[in-house]
Amino acid sequence: MPRKIVKTKYFFEEDYRETIAEVSTDKYKDWGNNDTLNVVGKAVSRIDGYDKVSGTAIYTFDVDLPGMTHARILGSAYPNAKIKKINTKKAKQLDGVLEILTFENAAKIPWFNNSTMLFDSHVRYEGDEVAAIVAESDSIAEEALKLIEVEYEQLSFVTSSQDALKVNSVKIHDNGNIVGGKPAEYDRGNIEEGFKEADYVLEDKFETQIAVHNSTEVHCSVVNWDGNKLKVWDSTQGVFAVRNVVSRSLGLPESDVTVITKYMGGGFGSKLETGKYTIIAALLARDIGKPVKITVNRKQMNLITGNRPDSIQTLKAGIKKDGTLTAMSLTSYSAVGAYPSWGGCSGPIKGIYKCSNLKTTEYSVMINAGRARAFRAPGHVQGTFALESFIDELAEKAGIDPLEFRLKNYSEVDPGSGSPYTTKLLREAYKKGSEAIGWYEKRKPTGTDTGYLKRGIGMATQIWGGSGGPPAYVTLKLNSDGSVTILGGSQDIGTGTYTILAQVVSEVLEIPIDRMQVILGNTSSVPFGPESGGSTTAPSLSPAARDAAEQMKSKIISGAAAVLGLPEDELVYKEASVYVKNDKSKSVSIPALMHSMHEQMFITNGARSANPEHYAINSFGAHFAEVEVNTETGKIKVLKIVAAHDIGRVLNQKTVENQFHGGIIQGIGFALMEERILDANTGKVLNTDLHTYKIPTIKDVPEIEIYVVSKGDNLLSNTGVKGMGEPAIIPTAGAIANAVYNAIGKRIKSLPMTPDKVLNALYG
Amino acid sequence: MNNFKYHQPKSLQDASSLMQQHNNNALLFAGGTDALGLIKNNIITPGNLVNLKLIKGLNEIKYTPGKEIKIGALVNLVDIAGHSVIREKFAVLAEAANNIASPQFRNVATIGGNLCQRPRCFYFRGDFHCIRKGGNLCYAAAGENKYHCIVGGDPCYIIHPSDSAVALLALDAKFSIYSDRKLKIVSAWDFFILPSIDPTKENILKPGEILESIIIPEPDNGSKSKYIKFMEREVFDFAVVSVAAVVKKSGGKIVKGRVAFGGVAPKPWQIDILNKSLAGLSTGEEGIAAFSKKFFNDATPLEKNAYKIPLVRNLLKRILIDLTV
Repeated sequence: MPRKIVKTKYFFEEDYRETIAEVSTDKYKDWGNNDTLNVVGKAVSRIDGYDKVSGTAIYTFDVDLPGMTHARILGSAYPNAKIKKINTKKAKQLDGVLEILTFENAAKIPWFNNSTMLFDSHVRYEGDEVAAIVAESDSIAEEALKLIEVEYEQLSFVTSSQDALKVNSVKIHDNGNIVGGKPAEYDRGNIEEGFKEADYVLEDKFETQIAVHNSTEVHCSVVNWDGNKLKVWDSTQGVFAVRNVVSRSLGLPESDVTVITKYMGGGFGSKLETGKYTIIAALLARDIGKPVKITVNRKQMNLITGNRPDSIQTLKAGIKKDGTLTAMSLTSYSAVGAYPSWGGCSGPIKGIYKCSNLKTTEYSVMINAGRARAFRAPGHVQGTFALESFIDELAEKAGIDPLEFRLKNYSEVDPGSGSPYTTKLLREAYKKGSEAIGWYEKRKPTGTDTGYLKRGIGMATQIWGGSGGPPAYVTLKLNSDGSVTILGGSQDIGTGTYTILAQVVSEVLEIPIDRMQVILGNTSSVPFGPESGGSTTAPSLSPAARDAAEQMKSKIISGAAAVLGLPEDELVYKEASVYVKNDKSKSVSIPALMHSMHEQMFITNGARSANPEHYAINSFGAHFAEVEVNTETGKIKVLKIVAAHDIGRVLNQKTVENQFHGGIIQGIGFALMEERILDANTGKVLNTDLHTYKIPTIKDVPEIEIYVVSKGDNLLSNTGVKGMGEPAIIPTAGAIANAVYNAIGKRIKSLPMTPDKVLNALYG
Repeated sequence: MNNFKYHQPKSLQDASSLMQQHNNNALLFAGGTDALGLIKNNIITPGNLVNLKLIKGLNEIKYTPGKEIKIGALVNLVDIAGHSVIREKFAVLAEAANNIASPQFRNVATIGGNLCQRPRCFYFRGDFHCIRKGGNLCYAAAGENKYHCIVGGDPCYIIHPSDSAVALLALDAKFSIYSDRKLKIVSAWDFFILPSIDPTKENILKPGEILESIIIPEPDNGSKSKYIKFMEREVFDFAVVSVAAVVKKSGGKIVKGRVAFGGVAPKPWQIDILNKSLAGLSTGEEGIAAFSKKFFNDATPLEKNAYKIPLVRNLLKRILIDLTV
């Protein structure tokens, strides 16, 4: 197993991560097309499907330990306040209440980059943690919360990025409201020269809303101390990340903390950070000596567990008469909540089009509201809506078909670095998608559809990272009967990681998937793997799984050579047996081999390879939308979405389609209805349930067609997989917005595109 | 959720006296879909819950051909939506019932509960001591008022959330109320009240009064009726604006008609002059479009809901076209 330590980098959520990691340097045969493979790429049903459908799957929310107690959190009722006095006496007297934590008695554990503490006497948004109660039952804990008396000194507050930037604004922290003290800036070429070269210069402003993840499984943890060792069941996208934060916060060795996530009911980025609640539960459990389950309720999920920050984006571009881009700029303002977070959205404008003169200026601004967190393709969802709406405006100005305009400004290399791509099949995605939607046949000139129900077609482009990268490990245990145990770093957050790892191993070892068990999401038993974010899980882990399986195959052949007394090159491996090339009647099966060798288990440890140097690695794609706008009600009905993408190799047709469907539906929600409504007069969120925070129902879901135009990306890794969880949502809103414009000839520049906005555009 | 005492009276009289006895500290409980939401979210904290489901006769539908249909207050919405006579002769009500919430809700929610449900205003349902909860401020007036009323507001700007109420107003239904050991009859229009009368209530019921049944006169032979509910998403949502109409036409003219609106006012809304002038209206598309523009000129929208004016006019036009053209 040749290994070396290298420096490598990959794109994770908003930015590039540089790592120095141990990587596999083994080179394996290129897998070629999926149609030459037996298991990989096929529509294999999830190996955990039965457990989930039958209800036997135990999610964190279902964990129930003997003697388990229940904790709930009291959040601030005000957007900005100092706690003058907190009286827990009455709550403590309630029968069944076991312990209460507040800033007065809880350990001072720094949080959000030292900008606050686990419990702070200064609460900076509605829902900010004030106290936690553990009781013998959940209902007692809830009842007791009402008995805590808090005396607040209410402070002035600010609820929008524009107000928070004013010189006389309330300062949420001593060092001002702009995260990092100044905007993030980027430029290349010469922006002024670029605008001078242009025949036309256009500028426009777009706005996107704050959206909340609202995953099905609420945020929750169950903790149990065994002496000094702590076991944590958590609904998280990163078991190792949680382990590290827990061990650091409580001063425990990492080896003493076990974090388990077997199944997870959705996260979308909101579970990519360790929750305060997990630490709170651990502290309470240590105090009372009993297991504690802590649950964040739906209302709190809409306040405290993160959101997609809003954006106000001003885009400016210069074009030649023939549509060639000469310069582009973006200035954005995003409200990221009461503690430092990131709200930039320049990824798409920097990465999609050939444009040598470009400048971006991004302000992440703190306000007195829940803090932003990564949310499925952070920055790119907002940025793509604005950019791709604007590109359509430029195309119209130049008098060019929007798709032709994009092809005219197509970049063959990464426009920032000039590096070649490992693969870029965006042109193929455009072709496939436009054919499937009927771009050239069905799409009418803008605003020419007659009748009160007007149809339109639009499209938008997607770019994302999603290369994955080291460190990521997979351990294989081949048992004496030929069955396999796969131990993978990371966790399955519902995307199908259990299944794809088994498929990869099955492809190499030719052992059926039903002879395999996959173990993920347990920091004490699996090797390290990354958080499931940034669309990196499959591209990081699947090559490690192949590495482990290929090593296992070598090991079996070596063993057989020793047992049979023949050189390895006279042997061939097939379907869990080793055959003699010249004498097919002679063979040794895995159980027979193990028996002869007096072995009980073969173990291999696979690692992810380094990402190739001097290449840009990105996924690409496009969504094409057909919509019908009711010009009497302002309602936009999405009739069809066609998604065509370059995502490297498909490991499992079913789980890929699942994720595209999910991403597109979430994209429709973002485009048409999802919005956190914050009352500017009181600083309180008005829609904290699933009735008022509207997500699409199944009746709002259109016909969806998925096309993957790529094969394996062999320069990237031995499986050639790029991540696709985030690409699935990125271009949906932009495609719908452009289709709406095509239908009614009015551009809706603010998301969500609710009926009131459409009616105001038509009648206002 | 607070703790409460659960009462199971067997008669309207017992239920009524329980309510009177506990005055402002009790809540009637039918299907429970709204009651439980109100209690769980601490909007109200009644010490007593009075279950009506054990009272016999309240869940019956009685049809007298050619005259009327009487629907008990505890009839489930699913049974109204699926009732063959209602679907045939009172289609607007069946359509309204069928568009409420989701099948799970319609299976347990009752017509009486649907009519007496509390408003969905963000502030009323949230942690705000607003005027409808006895405070002195309507937070929506200068706040998030996209979903609020454009007529009949002040000092509170809710819209009435019931779909069935709008259909019943178009059908000119009568509400039978158990009051002080007898039944009294009021019109659908008079049952609901504006905030200028009392901003803490949506209807005339006093403590101890219980909605017993709805009596709907059968529309003239040859009448057609319809309900259009406009929602922001396809299902499982409250109406932004809705319109119900019962229309009879002859030749190229409407001879008789009634229209009611939801989502525009704190009570299900009707416009007398509109209903009067329907008789004689020509049924061509252009004429109906011009007719529909004549109404809601007196609307006083708030900062974020002026879009409801073209919306309600368009829905009026659409329902009249659908019923006549």
